[in-house]
Amino acid sequence: MTVHLSIILFLPAVAGLVAMFFPRDWAGWTLVTGSVLTLAYAIVMLARFKTGGGMQFVTDDNWISELGIRYQLGVDGLNLFLVMLTALLWVPASIAFAVRGWDRPHLFAFFMGLGETAVLGAFMAQDLGLFVAFFDLMLVPFYFLVGMWGGEDRVYATTKLVIYTLVGSLLMLAAAVALGVMSTPDGGHISFSFATLAQHPLSAGSQYWLFLLFAFAFLVKAPIFPLHGWMPDAYRQAPLPVILVFSAVVSKVGVYGFLRIVLPLLPQASVHFQELMLAIAVVSILYGSVLAFSQDDTRLIVGYSSIAQLGFILLGIFSLDSKGGQGAVMQMVNHGLVVAPLFLIIGYLAIRAQERDSLDWMGGMAFRAPVLAGVFLIVALATLAMPGSANFVGELYILFGTLQSKIVYGLVASVGVVLAAVYMIRFFQRAMHGRAGVHAESRDLALGPELAVIAPLVLVILALGVYPNFLLHRINAFAPVAQNAAQVALKK
Amino acid sequence: MNTLNVIAAAKAPVIDYKGISPLFAIAGGAVIVLIVALFRGRFVQRVLVPLLTVGALGAAIGLTIWNWQTGDSKPIVEGALSIDTLALGLSLIFYASGLVMVAFAWRSVALRESGSGEFFGLMLGSIAGMNILASAENLVTLFVGIELLSIPLYVLCASEVRRETSLESGLKYLVIGSVGSATLLYGLAFIYGATGHTDFAGISSAIGDRVDITDPLLLTGIGLAAAGLAFKASVAPFHAWTPDVYEGAPTPVTAFMAVATKTAAFAIILRLFDEALVTVQVQWAPALAALAVVTIIVGNVGAIGQNSLKRMLAWSGVAQAGYMLAGVVVGTKLGLQATVFYLAIYLFMNMAAFGVVIARERVSEHGDGMKSLEGLGSASPLLAWPMTIAMLSLAGFPATAGFIGKFYLISATVDGNWAWLGVMIVIGSMISLVYYLRVIAVMWMNPLKIEVPGLRPRREVRPVAGWSPEADPRRQPEVLVVTLIMAAATIFFGIVPSPLFHLAHDVGTSLSSLFT
Amino acid sequence: MSATAWAWLVLAFPLAGTIVISLGWRALPGRLPGWIGSAMILGSFVCAILATLKMQDAAPDARHFSSTLFDYAHSAGLNIGMSIYVDPLSLFMALVVSGVSFLIHVYSVSYMASDRGYSRYFAYMNYFVLSMLLLVLAGNIIILIVGWAFVGAASYLLISFWYRRKSAVDAGIKAFVMNVIGDVALVIAAFLLWKNTGHHVSYTGIFAGAKQSFSHDQGTLIAACLLLTVGAFAKSAQLPLHTWLPDAMEGPTPVSALIHAATMVTAGVYLIARFHPLYEQAPTAANITAGIAAATLFFAATCALAITDLKRIIAYSTISQIGYMMVGVSTAGYDGGLFHLMTHAFFKALLFMGAGSVIGAMAGIQDIDRMGGFRRSMRFTYITFLIGALTLAGMVPFAGWFSKDEILGFDVHRGGYPLILAIVGFAGALLTAFYSFRMVFRVFHGDAVPEAESLERGELFHGEHVNPMTGEHEDTDVGFPGAEHHIAERELPMKFAMGALAVLSVVGGIVAIPGVTDWLRNFLDPTFADSKFINTQPTDSASWIGLIVGAGIALAGITTAFVFYIRRPGTTAKLIERLPFLYRLFVNRWYFDELYDALFVRPAATFGRFGRYVVESAFVQGTLVGGATRIVGAGSALARTVQSGYVRTYAVLMLVGFGALGLYFLLQAT
Repeated sequence: MTVHLSIILFLPAVAGLVAMFFPRDWAGWTLVTGSVLTLAYAIVMLARFKTGGGMQFVTDDNWISELGIRYQLGVDGLNLFLVMLTALLWVPASIAFAVRGWDRPHLFAFFMGLGETAVLGAFMAQDLGLFVAFFDLMLVPFYFLVGMWGGEDRVYATTKLVIYTLVGSLLMLAAAVALGVMSTPDGGHISFSFATLAQHPLSAGSQYWLFLLFAFAFLVKAPIFPLHGWMPDAYRQAPLPVILVFSAVVSKVGVYGFLRIVLPLLPQASVHFQELMLAIAVVSILYGSVLAFSQDDTRLIVGYSSIAQLGFILLGIFSLDSKGGQGAVMQMVNHGLVVAPLFLIIGYLAIRAQERDSLDWMGGMAFRAPVLAGVFLIVALATLAMPGSANFVGELYILFGTLQSKIVYGLVASVGVVLAAVYMIRFFQRAMHGRAGVHAESRDLALGPELAVIAPLVLVILALGVYPNFLLHRINAFAPVAQNAAQVALKK
Repeated sequence: MNTLNVIAAAKAPVIDYKGISPLFAIAGGAVIVLIVALFRGRFVQRVLVPLLTVGALGAAIGLTIWNWQTGDSKPIVEGALSIDTLALGLSLIFYASGLVMVAFAWRSVALRESGSGEFFGLMLGSIAGMNILASAENLVTLFVGIELLSIPLYVLCASEVRRETSLESGLKYLVIGSVGSATLLYGLAFIYGATGHTDFAGISSAIGDRVDITDPLLLTGIGLAAAGLAFKASVAPFHAWTPDVYEGAPTPVTAFMAVATKTAAFAIILRLFDEALVTVQVQWAPALAALAVVTIIVGNVGAIGQNSLKRMLAWSGVAQAGYMLAGVVVGTKLGLQATVFYLAIYLFMNMAAFGVVIARERVSEHGDGMKSLEGLGSASPLLAWPMTIAMLSLAGFPATAGFIGKFYLISATVDGNWAWLGVMIVIGSMISLVYYLRVIAVMWMNPLKIEVPGLRPRREVRPVAGWSPEADPRRQPEVLVVTLIMAAATIFFGIVPSPLFHLAHDVGTSLSSLFT
Repeated sequence: MSATAWAWLVLAFPLAGTIVISLGWRALPGRLPGWIGSAMILGSFVCAILATLKMQDAAPDARHFSSTLFDYAHSAGLNIGMSIYVDPLSLFMALVVSGVSFLIHVYSVSYMASDRGYSRYFAYMNYFVLSMLLLVLAGNIIILIVGWAFVGAASYLLISFWYRRKSAVDAGIKAFVMNVIGDVALVIAAFLLWKNTGHHVSYTGIFAGAKQSFSHDQGTLIAACLLLTVGAFAKSAQLPLHTWLPDAMEGPTPVSALIHAATMVTAGVYLIARFHPLYEQAPTAANITAGIAAATLFFAATCALAITDLKRIIAYSTISQIGYMMVGVSTAGYDGGLFHLMTHAFFKALLFMGAGSVIGAMAGIQDIDRMGGFRRSMRFTYITFLIGALTLAGMVPFAGWFSKDEILGFDVHRGGYPLILAIVGFAGALLTAFYSFRMVFRVFHGDAVPEAESLERGELFHGEHVNPMTGEHEDTDVGFPGAEHHIAERELPMKFAMGALAVLSVVGGIVAIPGVTDWLRNFLDPTFADSKFINTQPTDSASWIGLIVGAGIALAGITTAFVFYIRRPGTTAKLIERLPFLYRLFVNRWYFDELYDALFVRPAATFGRFGRYVVESAFVQGTLVGGATRIVGAGSALARTVQSGYVRTYAVLMLVGFGALGLYFLLQAT
């Protein structure tokens, strides 16, 4: 029973709130301070995390006893690094926001802070009701962030985004309530705590339709083909700091839900729908990759590549194999770590290409920007999971897991690895190599904010590439969850 | 048995003056207000009368709390009225919305044109009717309550006598409302004919005992009664009057109707169906469920693409009525509690929304049109935020009371094996996003100069529609304050809902006939 | 210090070089980055020698050490250590790689001297050497894959080194993607082995496990081996994954010498030698590998006959020579294969350096049709190139003579299927001799072209800045081949490097003269002690006969070339008229590029467009999404029309309501 998690959880929101009362120019930096403090606190938590120690730093308190919803937070091998990722990536995002003059900075800061709190809450929640609450709450700040500071069609984009995802979330709300009510023994007091729910498994029949509702919500969030309809508009319209965290962190909440909720609480259903989910995952991988290398808009390249990457993560999860699960969690972190710098780079490219996001406006930029080129190269190679990067280890685990449980899907998916090479290298070359773009100026990263923001991320990527086990042996604590479903599979 | 009844009826009724005191406070207040208002003079009209109204309502609230006591209902006017936590709890909502209406109406045209005495007197009268309705335990008092509730409202709707739409709405409400009342009366007569009782206890004991639960007379009666009450609660397909009347009526009255009338209607629906007719639940539940579904769909779909905020809120009110009806259908204690809980938060979020509409329509040339909110986010956040919160709450986003309310309703439906009704609520909420979010978008995301770095085409500054120094919401503090309070409450109960849960829980104890 | 400690140092040096040069790119002046790079490689070469000496102290059967630095990935049943494996094979490779790399670095110090991306170049080169050494020293298959992909990345970076040239950029992505195909194949192979050999990834573990868990020639094992072969072929540019190598010639010439001739492309040979126990346990896989390799060596030789781009001729010759090595190692002629790998590294690097020198003199032009008569003007280059050509042709007594004929001799000796391969090999040898002297005669003999003459007058020719491949105008920002590049005659470092390699090409054979010196075999035997063909070696006399046959073939080839190009010039033209079809086939490299374009590139692009314009519009713009919204929209329109404001409409609505309710309850009643 500690308050640490609550502090990490609410620090950002508080910072955002405080920023509202500071002068315009300070708003951004107040937020930055808040996110840095959060990160610092999270690092302390990571240092004190006991590997394999199960659920730690648990906070358990009444919230709405009448509905059986408890304020229950905890960190274990499954969400540890996702919390870290959130805390880490909000720093560059808020810096990227702070260094540029935006209209109404107070609100921007407030919503950014609120967003971080919501995401952290969704990751830390150990109570289904709490999870749902944070899961839906996430949408509010992003609705405003995209809608108020986005591109030309921002209102359309943000409305689409919110309706798409909230349709999912509302279905999940119904499913969550049903799950809680149905797994309450007669006369017993209703409870949504994951631990309690896991003790009262439902009948296979009711698991099936609950699974479908949850799956819909999570797949939309990810997004996974064919539920990615909101993605292109949102990615094109959203302001950079927002889409950075949205793509790097928020998209992980969905797939995280599978591991935290669906597999442990609906094991039979997970086994029953395994093939379906694997098929969806494989299709997403191939489709996302192919579209990624037929796009000219840099944001969309990353957008579709994320669909492919999340397809891999989904694949690992529904291999229902401990290796696959390990790889999936690891890949969530890795993907977040590479997508964030990618979007920063997209921002830098746009500045140098007349604020255009299209590759047609770029080209040959490496000439006077060797540092930018080098950074971009490292990130690109990590994104395509070149051996030697942590992403490779993640993908290796996912592939091993899938090949072991369902070899066919594994083989098809491995085609995606090759396609990833195609679209990332194409992206890198079209921007950096070839003839100099007509309007593209080749200017290297300013040693000031530009480099300061991205350098730490690149260093983290390199460090994890050399020593991926740092992630792996902490994530280890998660293995039982996937096994839970796997055992059901064996029983069948 | 029968003879005993006759003797009992012959005796003068026992009256519990403590229990009836809130009603006295209101009724007395109405009389006093009317008399005082005879004195001309600005002070009397502008200050004294409103103060007296507030005083009466305040006294009623105090007395209600004094009377607060859980458990079975105890008679206050033997055989006619009885109070229990359901009655008391819901009457609190009436008084609260009455207070809010005072604030909203204080500067309104309606007040000036119809005279504050008449206006507030009618309002108090209507509240008295609601009060009676809520604590009725007898078909006759039920009908008396309904009429006492409705007739002042007909007038109030038309109280902006120089505006045609206001008169039209009053007339329309009168016509359709009386059709509703007639239907209700007809239905009540059938029920009496079938069971031979007018008091609810007698009816419920008679059904299944002497009267077969498939008795055509009884069931027809139930059907007609349901239809009649559906009018008051603006449940589809008996909702048709709602948008027109809401739009035409003076906005404070609309706000009052939207909350108080709906609450009263649900009070009696709960009373009638969950107490008197609970034994035939198997018969009426499917019908009401069907009504709920139709209402949810029609309401949400109708609200899309409305350009008048009042119309939009009217339609959304229809949809919300559908959600609450689902809680009634379940016919369990949990369902009752969820419905009451939702009614309570409905007060906060709706009043917040209407407050903003009132504040804007008085200064904007767009009246209550969607346009009147354009750019409000940057022009006057003090109004934009309450509206935003209200919309998010109505849409059921977390950290607002609306989320908890929906959560509660859904869990009630699932718990009572009406899971598919829960899903209907969810689907309704999906559709509702379209129009709720539109309002927010209009306020915050309309074209304004936004510092998007670099070449992205600059956006031109447009003056906020109808914006002028006079439009500063601080020029009408009472509206602003009330609105802010309501919005704050919406957030507060979204994070700390326990107080409302206690209320709902106490109310739950009242109808002991319900299965837990 | 133990052998493994030295081996770690072998890796440490180029790593340090990479970091220093890439971080100090702005600070390091003049040729300093070049010298730093070369020094680092020299350092790791020295360490490799020391490691070897240290290892030789151990008893022959104990000459394998592994050392793990830390857990690379250890969870969920997978245990991968950051470990190296030191045995004769890996050290042999390390020696060849670091040695040749050192010479090529020295050569580059002056060849690239006036290039814009000087320090970038050496950072890449050091990174490459690091990766290559990691590849050969890796202690388990996963680390091997890491090194495998690293060399691929380095090769990509160096191929598109002059990244303003479209041709270079396209060549780069082509090479990278084909290499990734190989990586994926290796990953799947790694899985099959891990799964079936008791969850091992280390070589020793895999081999031990394979012995128990696989029966002879078992299907899974064959599959695993074939996947390894795919990896090897992708890296070593064997059929059908060879098309990237000729295009890779877009890179600077020293790069072609180092990566695309001497070291990286031979990694496939190392891979098969490393996994020989599996191949011997799955002969089917071995035979398939050998067969394709033999086909490759012949096919590549035919291409080298027809095309006229100097570097691409050498590239195809590389493909062909690697075919020999592949045949060798996959028919258990490990010594021969690796021996040829070594000698090939010497003479092919030498040939490329010579070519580089010539191209420097031609100001970037690589077309041998436009060359000629450099004999007098570039004496040093001529001599060294000639030595290289003779070695390639397998002429007595040059190193290539011993190595190639050791492979063929061994296969002849084994007889049966290998014998057929050997015959193909001899046929290839004839072509090899011919095309190598085709180069010599057409570049250095005949009448001097203007460039050669100006060189004789002592000034270096500076051509127009046009990309001879595409005709696009060169971009002088980043640089491009030819433009003020340097020739051996004027640069001591280049002279030194070429001279050293020339000497090695001449005397390199000494390490394995049948019957006289069998040093190489004795050195490698500990690694291949478990091979069942360890004792099936042709008798010395047999080998000598083989050598003589080989020499004869080489001589025949050379004379033919002499006749064609010196005695009766124009013979080729007649031949082309005689066999136009064959010529077109060869000069278009058997239309492989066109085939792949039609099979993979265009379909993928089409599918992409389809997805972008058809599928997306369904999911993103509308139909699916729009469908739902349209229904709702229609509903609200209906609702608004019903909401006419007339009480009569409402009355109708109510009647409907009444009717429905009443009907329902009446039905209930009955």
